[in-house]
Amino acid sequence: MSAGLVTLTIDEREVSVPKGTGLVEAALAAGIEIPVFCYEPRLGPPVGACRMCLCEVQPGPPKPQAACTLQAADGMVVRTARTSAMAAEAQNGTLEFLLVNHPLDCPVCDKGGECPLQDLTFRYGPGNTRMTFPKRTFEKPIPISPLIALDRERCILCYRCTRFSEDVAEDGQLVAVNRGAQSVIATFEDEPYVGHFSGNVTEICPVGALTSTQYRFEARPWEIQSVPTVCGLCPVGCNTSATTREGKVKRIQSRNHPEIDEGWLCDKGRFAYDHLTARDRITAPLGGNRLAPIGWDEAIDRAEELLRRGGASTVTALSGGESVEEAYGLARLMRDGVGANTAVLPEQVPDGLDAYRAPLSALRDCKTIAVLCDEPVVERAPVVELWLKAARRNGATITYGAPEGPVDALVTDLPNLQLGARTVYYLPRTPNGRGVTDAWSAAGEGEPVDEEPRVLVISGDEAAQDPSVRVLAERADAVIGIGMFRDSFHGLAHLVLPGTSYLERDGTTINLEGRLQRQRRAVLAPVPDVLAWLSKLAARFDVELSPHASVVFEEVSAKCFGGVTFAEVGERADLPPRAARSETQEPGSQREPGSRDSGLRLVAYRPLFSGAAVERTPELHFQRPGDEIQIAPADAQARGVVNGATVTVSSNGTSLELRARITRELAPGIVRIARDHAGDLHATVQVTP
Amino acid sequence: MAELQVLLAGTDDHDLTKLDEYLAVGGYAGVGKARAMTPEELIDELQRATLRGRGGAGFPMGRKASLIDRSSPKPKYLVVNADESEPGAFKDREVMARVPHRLIEGCLISAHAIEAHEVFIFIRGEYLSEYEILQAAVDEARAAGLFGDVDILVHRGAGAYICGEETALLDALEGRRGQPRPRPPFPPVQGLYDAPTQINNVSTIATVPAIMEMGAEAFAKTGTESSPGSAIFSISGNIARPGNYELELGTPMRELIYDLAGGVPDGRELKAVIPGGSSVPALAPDEIDVPLDYDSLQKIGTFFGAASLIVVDDRCCIVQLALRSAKFYQHESCGKCTPCREGTRWMVQILERIEAGDAELSHIELLESIGSRILGRSLCALGDFAVYPTHSYITKWRNEFVAHIEQGGCPYGGASSLEGIVAPLDQHTHSPMAEVPA
Amino acid sequence: MSAFADEVRAIAERYPDPRSATLPALRLAQERHGWLPPEALREVANALDLTPAYCKAVASFYDMYHLAPVGKHLVEVCTNLSCALVGAQRVVEAFESELGVAPGETTTDGEVTFRTVECLGGCGYATVVAVDHRYRQDVTPADVAGIVEELRG
Ligand SMILES: Cc1cc2nc3c(=O)[nH]c(=O)nc-3n(C[C@H](O)[C@H](O)[C@H](O)COP(=O)(O)O)c2cc1C
Ligand code: SF4
Ligand code: FES
Repeated sequence: MSAGLVTLTIDEREVSVPKGTGLVEAALAAGIEIPVFCYEPRLGPPVGACRMCLCEVQPGPPKPQAACTLQAADGMVVRTARTSAMAAEAQNGTLEFLLVNHPLDCPVCDKGGECPLQDLTFRYGPGNTRMTFPKRTFEKPIPISPLIALDRERCILCYRCTRFSEDVAEDGQLVAVNRGAQSVIATFEDEPYVGHFSGNVTEICPVGALTSTQYRFEARPWEIQSVPTVCGLCPVGCNTSATTREGKVKRIQSRNHPEIDEGWLCDKGRFAYDHLTARDRITAPLGGNRLAPIGWDEAIDRAEELLRRGGASTVTALSGGESVEEAYGLARLMRDGVGANTAVLPEQVPDGLDAYRAPLSALRDCKTIAVLCDEPVVERAPVVELWLKAARRNGATITYGAPEGPVDALVTDLPNLQLGARTVYYLPRTPNGRGVTDAWSAAGEGEPVDEEPRVLVISGDEAAQDPSVRVLAERADAVIGIGMFRDSFHGLAHLVLPGTSYLERDGTTINLEGRLQRQRRAVLAPVPDVLAWLSKLAARFDVELSPHASVVFEEVSAKCFGGVTFAEVGERADLPPRAARSETQEPGSQREPGSRDSGLRLVAYRPLFSGAAVERTPELHFQRPGDEIQIAPADAQARGVVNGATVTVSSNGTSLELRARITRELAPGIVRIARDHAGDLHATVQVTP
Repeated sequence: MAELQVLLAGTDDHDLTKLDEYLAVGGYAGVGKARAMTPEELIDELQRATLRGRGGAGFPMGRKASLIDRSSPKPKYLVVNADESEPGAFKDREVMARVPHRLIEGCLISAHAIEAHEVFIFIRGEYLSEYEILQAAVDEARAAGLFGDVDILVHRGAGAYICGEETALLDALEGRRGQPRPRPPFPPVQGLYDAPTQINNVSTIATVPAIMEMGAEAFAKTGTESSPGSAIFSISGNIARPGNYELELGTPMRELIYDLAGGVPDGRELKAVIPGGSSVPALAPDEIDVPLDYDSLQKIGTFFGAASLIVVDDRCCIVQLALRSAKFYQHESCGKCTPCREGTRWMVQILERIEAGDAELSHIELLESIGSRILGRSLCALGDFAVYPTHSYITKWRNEFVAHIEQGGCPYGGASSLEGIVAPLDQHTHSPMAEVPA
Repeated sequence: MSAFADEVRAIAERYPDPRSATLPALRLAQERHGWLPPEALREVANALDLTPAYCKAVASFYDMYHLAPVGKHLVEVCTNLSCALVGAQRVVEAFESELGVAPGETTTDGEVTFRTVECLGGCGYATVVAVDHRYRQDVTPADVAGIVEELRG
């Protein structure tokens, strides 16, 4: 027996597992199921509440033991329901108790067909009921937010959802109230469950108690398909599975990549898919003063004409939401075909960072973490916040610093900073900023020009909403848009070519770790693939571009990704190894500390729940940040500001009333307000109670 | 055997709530003795005394102290369980109201044994006067410089029987819903704030000074061999002289009921004795010739429990007794684990039906079967506590259950002593829980 | 508001973890408001950096916190076994007729909330009635009118 292993017997099978392994996992290693409801290691230590996992365990008292709370030990003898009448009786008993007050309404329940309670009852439960008394009933279903419905009668009180809320998301929103048989899951005073991660509770609920309002009554498990893909709404790139029925996306679920997301999604990634069927979705090219639908041939002709007019002075503004292939195709067209090498790129991610690369999950084991980001992490890369919280629960010290200059400059400096940091993550602003940048540089060699743009190409709705891009657009003679929504380009572009969503395309993206991942087409777009028309347009400029993402990828890959193929990227992508550290570079420009009066620096941040997709998902609007100001404890104390109280925030004659939220996740000297609530405040503000 | 004054010694002629009077009877001498020993020596002394826990399970207090992981870099905590919510029990209350300094002295000694610098006394919220007396005594002793490098914090509960369960108590003390934790890990390894924690009942800790005074050997010679010392027995119900009696362990139950407490009054017959508080199996009149100690009671199929006897006379309908008791456990079930949460409610439903005369004989078996599916399978012993007495009522007074069913109603015809009793469970009309027929 | 927060924080400082002050803080808030309305739960949450939902979860677990308004006075009759065996129900009935409300209710003038409770730990002195948290022991139906008169002043 090798060191660190223990050997035990489960249902007469001997199995060796590392010391500290839980019995549920040990049994799994032996190919044996120990049924569970409340047990879910991602939620923290076991709670032993549901009693589904009762087994006969020796040594131990002569009664069934909750296997989920025990660890494998040398010489332990475990008998599950397969070999122990005691365990079988106990598990049958647990199911009988779970069902006494359960409505047994499986035929009309969304969970029916994919319900652990249904499955385990089938395998371990009683065949009929001895309950002839009134069941508990509740008003049902009740909304716990516009996104989630709660059916209390179906709830088996496994406390998974409340543990998620308290111990994973740490939002303290979803709780159990009352005691004993009267316990129910609830939010505070019927207020909605506001939190970046609320939707996860619908996925961890082992019965049909917490369901997504979007998915309710939309499909049955036997009529759906699941497409493994990757979320395209932020730089984390959580692995997802898109449930589709009759060519429509019906829900998004997690596809647990333990290094990236551990099975959690933010609500934007989970619920914002309604944008696919938005009212203002562009389904044909638009042209003319009033952006009316035009034919495809006409659209390609006009695009060619405008691009020829713009020539080398044409500027391309990218969103960072494009796939690597789309960005590359566009870049080939512009750089090789049009000869326009000027681009507004969404991110500058220095290569040096790859020497500090690690999977996000490594955060959990860090002892010291410095967050140098004046925007809230959760608004920029939500799941990263969950890893930070896990690290803190694990005993990590987390400090919050506020870079004075642009973050990008700080990043450039990293190789020179003697931080001693072993791992560095950069949180880009856009979902695939890094992939788009790589694709752009891989596509051509020419130098950008410094001319006034005559023609501007705006790729993506996010770029179209970007104020700096809009300034450029005002200076350009003509604007070509590529995007999904008419409203994004209204009054801005002269020609709009339809774009597609990340759920409608094949392709790759690079997340904030530098991991190349594959997105798969979950549903057909109502318009042709971007690559399809790009290849036609490119041909007008004698550029050969394949309309197929896999072929385009091979071309990019040969240049940037060491020639890996689509198939090799796979469904669960690995992180490439760390790059060698580069030689010390010239130190970046020293940033001057900004001059400070007694005021606080205001960061008007862009909330996660904003942007084109969220705007088109009304159910998500309640998640937009409230009119609160985040302030560090020291700054609050110095000003006599109390948590939750209304404060006055003023600068240069403007003043606003906002609710104070004191948070440690913020460097002193900074206050944060969501962009929508910052009004006309200037960069330096005074805060008074 | 009879009265042995250990806990209440000196209370006859002194007001021991006052520090100077307690000092006058030799109080706090044990602290000095204890602090002259190393923690190892002290734990050894406590182990030799074999003082068994007075909170219910009877686990030896010294052995518990020896399990504390003193090598842990975390602080060690001593927690005193003053939640006393077991129906029938009111002994710890007497200790706190009359000899608070003895409890405090016990805390200081025990804290030294486990190298704890912080002691928490968790007192049930309803004990307001007792809290005031205890808090005053703590303040007085602290002011007198008796604490050394130890501090004692009295923490008030807020009304939940389950908080007497030691791990639920820890959660309540941490500011949470008081729900039990799975074990392992056990509190001596990972208890309050995840640090090594010793938890003992008030009477257990208040007995510790006597061990210091008498010496472990002498203490171990009192009481019985396996259950040394004395205990305060609470006796209540249909009894002539209810109250608390401090007795040497091993005193015959009959002696307590008849000689000391005056037997069943009003010329009624004894029907049942629930010997350890309402959570243990009841005894029939022919079973009361038993010494009051842990092992003797266990040998006849019941438990020492909270050393609290509830005496029931022949006016009481046993089904009503079972029902009232079951309503208590349903009301107090914390709701964390399935068998207890669902099972206690189901038991109440069946008992209500039997009492109403609206049941079938098979319901008795159903009741027993549900009980056996709770027993030993719930997360903490509250589930067991709901079942033990019920099973004993069915086994020993089965004819009464059958009579209800066969006669289509309560054979007492409204004359039972528990007729119509309103349980708190019955008044939860504002709860979100409604009922519809199955 | 701020004074309350200060008081709560002072309590919290006596514990290794401020969360431990939840029960005392809820009690304090209840003393100020008479019961625990949503604002009170918010105040406690703000003072201890918890959420109102968390405070509600805790408060609703314990019998001594009132999540609905109660009268100025609280009369609680123990109806657990020992008291019940010697006639607690007669005491309950006496209060019912004296106060004109059923257990669990508050008199229409908002003066007295009357309820039955589980064992108060006074079993040897049955029937035990807690009047504004002070125990009256050995209470019989004959004592009830006097108690009510005392409360009504
Ligand atoms: C439901 C339940 C309620 C309990 N109530 C009490 C109590 O009120 N007081 C007490 O000391 N022990 C109570 N206990 C026992 C405690 O869990 C624990 O065993 C005891 O406090 C240990 O102290 P001891 O070893 O000194 O007896 C209870 C146990 C359970 C399961
Ligand atoms: S047995 Fe009852 S009280 Fe104990 S954990 Fe289970 S539900 Fe809670
Ligand atoms: S899975 Fe073990 S108790 Fe729930």
